[in-house]
Amino acid sequence: MDSIQHLLKRLKRSGRKKKSVIYSGFKEPEASKELSDDLHKNLRSLESIYGHSSDVIFHNFSIGDHTEAALVYIEGLSNTEEIDRHVLSPLQQRLQMRLTLDDIRQTITVSSIKRVQTIGDVLDEISGGNPVLLVNREKQGLSVGLPKWEKRSIEEPSAESVLRGPREGFIETLNSNTAMLRRKVRSANLKIKSMNIGSYTRTKVAVAYIEGIADIGLVKEMINRLQRIETDGVLASVDIEELIEDHPASPFPQLLSTERPDVVSAYLLEGHVAVMIDGTPSALVAPITFFSLFQSPEDYYERFVAGTAIRWLRYLFLGISLLGPSIYVAVITFHQEMIPTALLLTMANSREQIPFPALVEAILMETMFEALREAGARLPKQIGVAVSIVGALVIGQAAISAGIVSAPMVMVVAITGIASFMAPRFTIGITIRVLRFPMMLLAGFLGILGLILGLLVIMSHLLTLRSFGVPYLSPLAPLQKRELKDVLWRAPRWMMNTRPRLTGEWAPYRQSHGQRPGPTKGDEGE
Amino acid sequence: MVMKRGTVLFILLLIQTFLLSGCWDRTEVNDLAIIMGAGVDLTEDHQLELSVNLFLPSPSGQQITKQSGSEGGSTGLGVSIVRTVRGATLAEAVSKLQQYVSRELFWGQDEVYIFGKSLAEAGIYEPMEFLLRHPDVSERANVFVSKKTAKEVLEVSPPVEDTVSEALREIARGRTGMDITLTELAQMMAGKSKAAVIPMIDVKEKQSTNETFPYILGTAIIKNGKMVGSMDENVTRGAMWIRNEVEKATITVSRKNERGAVSVLLFKSQTEVDAHIDGDRWSITVRIHSVDDIVENNTDQDFSIPDHIEELQTDLEGDINERVYKALDLAQKQLNADIFYFADAFYRKYPQEWKKHSDRWDDIFPNVEVNVQTKLSIRKPGLTRKSFFKLTK
Repeated sequence: MDSIQHLLKRLKRSGRKKKSVIYSGFKEPEASKELSDDLHKNLRSLESIYGHSSDVIFHNFSIGDHTEAALVYIEGLSNTEEIDRHVLSPLQQRLQMRLTLDDIRQTITVSSIKRVQTIGDVLDEISGGNPVLLVNREKQGLSVGLPKWEKRSIEEPSAESVLRGPREGFIETLNSNTAMLRRKVRSANLKIKSMNIGSYTRTKVAVAYIEGIADIGLVKEMINRLQRIETDGVLASVDIEELIEDHPASPFPQLLSTERPDVVSAYLLEGHVAVMIDGTPSALVAPITFFSLFQSPEDYYERFVAGTAIRWLRYLFLGISLLGPSIYVAVITFHQEMIPTALLLTMANSREQIPFPALVEAILMETMFEALREAGARLPKQIGVAVSIVGALVIGQAAISAGIVSAPMVMVVAITGIASFMAPRFTIGITIRVLRFPMMLLAGFLGILGLILGLLVIMSHLLTLRSFGVPYLSPLAPLQKRELKDVLWRAPRWMMNTRPRLTGEWAPYRQSHGQRPGPTKGDEGE
Repeated sequence: MVMKRGTVLFILLLIQTFLLSGCWDRTEVNDLAIIMGAGVDLTEDHQLELSVNLFLPSPSGQQITKQSGSEGGSTGLGVSIVRTVRGATLAEAVSKLQQYVSRELFWGQDEVYIFGKSLAEAGIYEPMEFLLRHPDVSERANVFVSKKTAKEVLEVSPPVEDTVSEALREIARGRTGMDITLTELAQMMAGKSKAAVIPMIDVKEKQSTNETFPYILGTAIIKNGKMVGSMDENVTRGAMWIRNEVEKATITVSRKNERGAVSVLLFKSQTEVDAHIDGDRWSITVRIHSVDDIVENNTDQDFSIPDHIEELQTDLEGDINERVYKALDLAQKQLNADIFYFADAFYRKYPQEWKKHSDRWDDIFPNVEVNVQTKLSIRKPGLTRKSFFKLTK
């Protein structure tokens, strides 16, 4: 006992000694320096910053009355054809004149031209694909909006396909994504605020919201959390997600990641905020609730009766996915009296030759299933076929004939496997799959009692979770009866008169009352 | 990473509680001997003889196809066998039984308990005590008294169901006779009247086909834990009318001045028992309300005529009354066993008087005046007025 206390004390002490690491990040020391009126000096400092990188092009030429000028851009990021046609050729036609910066601006036939003041601005513009024109004896440069780079064409998002409804999905290019959003929500009230995150990657991150619907506090909080990020690089939306979550250690996702512009637009219309990251074909939506993870866009593109039925099917299979094998293990090792006699006899019969306890059997099979799924997901398609053949053997008749697992167990594993794919969002599906294993252990050790204990832990965790201040289980806990219209069932369009209160309280009504269609409605207009 | 070491240690200790204790009360299904039915008999030397019908999964794990007419005991999934042990008490017999069976006895699925007639006559207090105390025994199990020994009944392999236990359970659930569970029996035995009923079974043997199957013979009447008499099927129906337990019934009456008979099928029935105490006169009014449909008419009468319906109703009421009075006569006058919950009816209405006279209930009960008021109404005479086939004559 003494030694344990001693050990605990020592552990406590060592825990207190926290190494504090100060991240200095990377900041270009010359970034804040103003451009000088000496072109050569400017070029020299740019050259030294880029360190003679081969893809940075310094194009020196002269304009007007032999004023020296230089165009700086990065190969492959800017449209060279357009530069030739709209920048270089008009400038070189106007000879024998002293050109001011305004004159140059008039001459260049490009719509998007910006003045840049500091070295830092110049660097940002160049790396964003905009060529920067520097002119001798001018303290400012001009950035010409002619970016062009290779991008993927717009395709149907494979992870969120629907039968009815739009087929377009986000791509890796932020500009295209915001444009897709803008095409859906044309109001000027759709605001998109962007910033660069990551000291090396300088990734462009855009926050989208609809002014007048979204809570200003929420938007500020989101921008604040994004600005707090100090890191060297942001490569995917997960990098952002994990840095702005409310409960980073929780297994449950607190932001919704979607590839569909229509889903993002629908959330924006409910007062949520979306974060879009350059280089990732998905947007993050916040705040979200547990139930929004079980809503598929398809629910809204089908008739509401079908949508409601499918939603309930999903809730049912959520339960099976989490508890299926654990209930089986608990009942068959502890509570045999709960099984109907005829079923128990069948089970007893099929378990007769099985050498392992039900718990071992369940963990073995579930692990095998997860392994098969993972192998199948990572392999190239040609080899994937082999995996599915092996899978059919492992989880199938062969395993039963080999006497390693019983037939009911194979059924349970197969049903659970299907159930875990019922979640319309992959992130929540994998969370449930992971939680299944501790639940199985608890069921195997303590039976139904353990199952209830595990459920209590999960429930109390879910109840403490918040996504950007919104309780994770709302509107069920805290209960808001009116808002169950999108949880217990998928209310028809003409009944969805109000926005969810926690995100849309600034503009509670989304449509006028009495939208229910019917014969009299049409007659009224006559 | 971010977690403090104390938290890590705490979690580790928490995991130890699971790993070190292990699955101490875990039992796999293939370590269980599942008891399907149990029977208790009294031997000549006054010992209890416990017989259990055990289910053994087929050793290969494969399904055995049941062959018709084959030697009994094989079900679709495995073999059902009967083991018999003797002991001074049921608990002793059970612990002895465990010595004869390699697997752990599992009582949770046992849905049939059979008491042999000899035991029932000697008293079923002792086995009931065990069955109600044992944590594994399902109180929803059905109870029977068998005319033959319980062992003989359990050894029967009925042609329709897989095991005899299954067959007995289905017969009881069929509700043509009494359907008494262990809980109900205990409640009756410990109730105000100390009288109980248990369905009585027998085994029918067909010599020609070598088929044996159990059937309900009547009802055993238990008074103070001992079987004091029995009712045949007809009288049982009468008792069931009073006990408000009739759910399925076909009543057939022959008509005066007519050839042939009429059968009606019970649609619903409700019985109310009302108690009165008037000085020393204790009386009971039994009101039976029954709604029926005509299912067979072999007479020449046309039941679309209201007069005929009324006559028929009176006849049917008379038939029910006759059975009810038979049951009353047997229970009240011959056996003095209050199997109709009359004691509870008095207690509910006159709790003060009941307290004073509860000791004398055995003296009061035979002299309770019972008034039977039967009201039967034919709900649907049917569109077929007379019998089709008699019209042609």
